[in-house]
Amino acid sequence: MYKFEKSFYSKTSMYSFVVVMILFFSMWYSTSKFVHIDMALLGYAISSTVFAIGLTIRMSFWMWRKATNRVAKRSVDNLFNKERLKRNSKAFVRTLIDNIILQKFIFQRGIYRGIQHFMISWGCIISFAITFGLTFGWMRFDLIDPETYQIIVFDMPTITMAAHGIFAEIVYNGLNIGAIMVLIGAGMALYRRITDYDVKVTQRFEFDILPLIILLAVTVTGLILTIQYTFLDGWMHHYMSLIHQVTVIIMLMYFPFGKLFHVPIRPLATAVPMSYQEVVKVDTKSCKSCGQPYSNDDQIADVQAILKSQNFDLQLADGTYLSDYCTGCRRRMRALKQMNLEAPQGNPYGPVNTNNGIHISGFSKKRSEEFYGLDQDLKEEKVDEPVSR
Amino acid sequence: MNKIMYLEFERCIGCRACQAACRECGDHDAKERNYVEYVDFTESRQTFPMLCMQCKDPACARVCPANAIQITDEGVVLSAMEEKCIGCRNCTFGCPFGIPKFDFETNKMYKCDMCYDRTRHDIAPMCASVCPSDAIRFIDFDEMQQLRRKRTQMNLVEGKKPQEGNKWDYVPEFFGVYTDSQS
Repeated sequence: MYKFEKSFYSKTSMYSFVVVMILFFSMWYSTSKFVHIDMALLGYAISSTVFAIGLTIRMSFWMWRKATNRVAKRSVDNLFNKERLKRNSKAFVRTLIDNIILQKFIFQRGIYRGIQHFMISWGCIISFAITFGLTFGWMRFDLIDPETYQIIVFDMPTITMAAHGIFAEIVYNGLNIGAIMVLIGAGMALYRRITDYDVKVTQRFEFDILPLIILLAVTVTGLILTIQYTFLDGWMHHYMSLIHQVTVIIMLMYFPFGKLFHVPIRPLATAVPMSYQEVVKVDTKSCKSCGQPYSNDDQIADVQAILKSQNFDLQLADGTYLSDYCTGCRRRMRALKQMNLEAPQGNPYGPVNTNNGIHISGFSKKRSEEFYGLDQDLKEEKVDEPVSR
Repeated sequence: MNKIMYLEFERCIGCRACQAACRECGDHDAKERNYVEYVDFTESRQTFPMLCMQCKDPACARVCPANAIQITDEGVVLSAMEEKCIGCRNCTFGCPFGIPKFDFETNKMYKCDMCYDRTRHDIAPMCASVCPSDAIRFIDFDEMQQLRRKRTQMNLVEGKKPQEGNKWDYVPEFFGVYTDSQS
């Protein structure tokens, strides 16, 4: 294995190679040794392969980040823990249904945003599934008799359908249905991006608007193709199909490097119910100072490890880390430090002695000597200095 | 722009005007992102305001597994990008100052962004513009230096001279040096 790795320029290029090989062999197998390959989609096949390489590179770099790596590693460790079987499956089902299929949290942010995102995401998932399925030959249609089509998935015959049945029409128009969904969703999103003042605060053209324009370009050119072959007898169809191909390639090239990259990283959300917070809003680790539960032991261990690996020195004098305290106590500690209110002696977790003679501006109080924390010999040197009363 | 958020905790009177103002700011979705808290309610009524320090190398961004916390060109640390945030709350635990807040319903983290649409145009953030006791100020770098010098002088008048080992105890905290560029 080590030798195999050494024959590549980097690990990332090794992963890319493996991904390309898997794609190639899946194509080889499902088109029964390239007999049923759809040459009209060759351009899409090549760009999809480049897209896969881009995605692999981006995912590798993302996984290389200290934080991502740690969280993902804990999730994988927990995944193979038999005692956690029930919790893992629950986490998977919950994330899949609430987070990815129904996207409940986006509907919570507003019904308009929910519908908009639901339309774009499901339109894209349908379109991507059909496009990749057809270009890599994972899925094809065979005519078994003049009135019946059969869908063949990975070279295995599956369901049959009447050539002009309702189900067949839905399957043929799958890309159109997806395109209309994306058209509605992306249109809604673009309208919101242009008119809503709040989202304008942090939005950037190249990050937030450009992907919408690319998606709209793909869907509009795709739908024009449908219009051309259904109503215009294929007028200009050839040129339009080229333009459509160009827009799709631009989208595939943009995907791993722009906003759309949030799609492949979303499954990491499973880590939250799986390793960190089993029940929403229920914590188990309690604060060192106030004793209130605020987090989970595993999560705090991860946070501390991530910070340590990146040379953040957040350890206090008594050996605890700042992340051992709840957020409220951390804020209070900072304010105490700043206002010089930390108890100069005694129990650091005890009540604050606010009447310690510390100078509060505008009240001309004299600070107590002990506060300055100067060494005795330093103090003695200053005996001659004037002291105002 | 070379403006600074200048906090003097002991000037806080606990009116919570800053929080009310924060809720009104653009993109804050009617939720306050700053804090006004008691130092120790059983001992005194002293409150303190608390905002994000806009770290140069933010711990919250470093512990984010989704790489969702971004820093603008001006140096403002923004809330987690909504599409990337997976809702793990690592940022709230990683932050040494306990600043990021988390909304469980919409599954997103939100934090002080120094009212980015205002400070980007050199306008004071909402909290600083409403604070009646000047506990939160949005001032020039030079003015900040002057205020710190004054504080040191006050201590000298009192007869206390900062030593090398403890000179930082004599000046109030400042943060959020907005940029280093002279523009």
